Amino acid sequence: MTAIHQFVPALLPRDATGDHTLALQSALRHAGFESDIYVEAAHDDLWHLATYFEAYAERAKPDDLLVYQLSTASPLADFLLDRPERLVLDYHNITPSSFYESWEDHTAEKVELARSQMVALAPAAVLGIADSAFNASELRHFGCPATAVIPILVAIGGEARVPDPAESARLGRDHGSATVLLFVGRLSPNKAQHHLVEALWLYRRWYDPGARLHLVGPAVTPAYAEAVFALAASLGLGDAVRHGEDLTDGQLAAWYADADVFVCLSEHEGFCIPLLEAMHAGLPIVAHGAGAVPETLTDAGILLESNRPGVVAAAVHRVVTDRPLSDRMVAAGHRRLDAFAPSTTRARFVEVLGQLAGQKGRVA
Amino acid sequence: MAPVEPDSPSSGEELDAAGRARYLDEVMADIDAEVKRRRASGDLPAGLEQELDELFLEFSPVGLQGKARLRETLALVDSSAYVDIAVPVESQKVVGTYVKRLIRKTMGWYLGFIVHQIVKFAWSVSRMFHVVVAHVEDLEAEVGTLRIPELPYSAVPVAVPGSTWWAPDAVAALTGVRGRVLHADCGDGSLVDTLIAAGVDAYGVDPSEAGIESAIERGTDVRAEPMLGHLEVVGDEALAGMVLSGSVQWLHPNERDRLVRMATTRLAVEGVLVIHSSTPESWTAATSPLVSDLAPGRPLHAETWTHLLHLHGLRTTALHTGGDDRRIDPIPFSNPDAPAINAAIVAVNERLLGPGEYLLVAVRER
Repeated sequence: MTAIHQFVPALLPRDATGDHTLALQSALRHAGFESDIYVEAAHDDLWHLATYFEAYAERAKPDDLLVYQLSTASPLADFLLDRPERLVLDYHNITPSSFYESWEDHTAEKVELARSQMVALAPAAVLGIADSAFNASELRHFGCPATAVIPILVAIGGEARVPDPAESARLGRDHGSATVLLFVGRLSPNKAQHHLVEALWLYRRWYDPGARLHLVGPAVTPAYAEAVFALAASLGLGDAVRHGEDLTDGQLAAWYADADVFVCLSEHEGFCIPLLEAMHAGLPIVAHGAGAVPETLTDAGILLESNRPGVVAAAVHRVVTDRPLSDRMVAAGHRRLDAFAPSTTRARFVEVLGQLAGQKGRVA
Repeated sequence: MAPVEPDSPSSGEELDAAGRARYLDEVMADIDAEVKRRRASGDLPAGLEQELDELFLEFSPVGLQGKARLRETLALVDSSAYVDIAVPVESQKVVGTYVKRLIRKTMGWYLGFIVHQIVKFAWSVSRMFHVVVAHVEDLEAEVGTLRIPELPYSAVPVAVPGSTWWAPDAVAALTGVRGRVLHADCGDGSLVDTLIAAGVDAYGVDPSEAGIESAIERGTDVRAEPMLGHLEVVGDEALAGMVLSGSVQWLHPNERDRLVRMATTRLAVEGVLVIHSSTPESWTAATSPLVSDLAPGRPLHAETWTHLLHLHGLRTTALHTGGDDRRIDPIPFSNPDAPAINAAIVAVNERLLGPGEYLLVAVRER
């Protein structure tokens, strides 16, 4: 049987692309395919599951199907471009460099390099798999001959996501009965957390003077993160904006359970897994309709055309005070989650890749 | 805001996809109405959201604050061009301090050699930037001397767009759009008032503080800002509609190009752009000498606007003409020379004296 191997720049624990890669390997092996993971780097705990990518050259077979998990710049791109085996791009989106310019020039250069690698890889691939139609349209734009939209393989919920009681108690003591707005995602310019701070300021003036904003995620762009917290301090919100990072699954679940509403004002999202986590946690959602957010969310939340603080504050107030609306959104969220059920997604991946593995040429 | 509309479907009631979409549309309409009410009551003063954005930019790196401030950036380069080899040796353990000091001492000659070369390189780069900045500043000074005198705002009569022939057409084109609508060069804000009365979430900007005084007294959401400066800070696809009038007619060609590019990106897909302009012919004849002599540019024909907008993904959907009509009546046919004279009059009417203004409506398609 044809082997389906994956290439991923870095195999990391508690990382969406890493989890997806491991889940896909498990699905492929379960379906009877030989499937290894080749990496440029891996976390110490995961090296035993991976092989340094250059070793593949020694093991390659002409019928192999190679799946590249593309989300960042990597020497893997040039390596794969030179390989004669058939290539599938599994694209998780690359944030446009314009978001990082002046904030972090080296990151801007890195994502620009990643984009140029995608431009070179897209026409060379036999198929592009994207986790959203938004991402698929980018692949097609850059010349990918065929695309399929299949959601990312992530386990939403599960036993590990039971709220940590100690963390829940700590959060409860911290803010009492005040309204809590939550956003989960890297502190990065494209996630636009500064608009959340602005919206909180207006929300407190208009509706709830004690309201809090909880931001969960690593500060991957330090200059931006500092600016967000400096803005909060200058608006007198130093104590009202809480930042959580390096949380365990149980702690993260506690932050979700503690919130009243999930608010996403990102200006660019390729999929947005935290929307699914919020749906699973039974949170109503208010989101700015940028990038892939509208197709991930559909009718499971309030989709705003703008992320201006006035309209965000009014939308949040409506959601937290209108119980029937909130209940309806939560129910819609649970329905929406069915579309991302891991069993369905796994089967779809195996079907698409398996069909391709059985062919020798390009897919039509 | 009323927490729940009395006729809202209850959470227990099952809705099909169309019903859910309708329901969410109604909720969004309520939210929009709440924002409008907050604006009208003074809870969301004109410019507040922009002030918040500007406050945030104060905490961003220098390059983001409007145009990059070269000298400040250069100072940052200079300050980071020095590498200190005096590694801190403090430690929580006494022996740790001793070991660190020993390493620093024994490694000093080695690190000093490396660092000397790094610093030398950094200062060479910094010197190069100083030369570049000096050149840029010389160029800026030279370009400054080539500038034509600015048209003083006071020389431009305060526009009263709400009572013009084209106001009803502009309102009709924008009625029903969802989201904010900007009137750039809004004059006395009267068209903004008319748009608001028609249910449009409109606001205005105008470079003349004196011009918008009456609008501010009425509580209309208008700001004393130039059109291009305002559009610079508006987010992409943040506007559902835009009315461009007044000085848009006589912008310098470079600025007009900037305006078209910014207007296109600031407008949401399917957003409506309305442009009012004089025709080139009537403008020279009807505008005050000061404005027509000092204005940096000249009005365009409607066909040219249509062409420019099409290049940027907008499709013209309507063209209305009006304003001063200075056409000459033909002479009676009893005059033996009537055919020749009337043919000349028709030609003059068509080329020079037809309707002096037009209103062009376009929709952003991509």
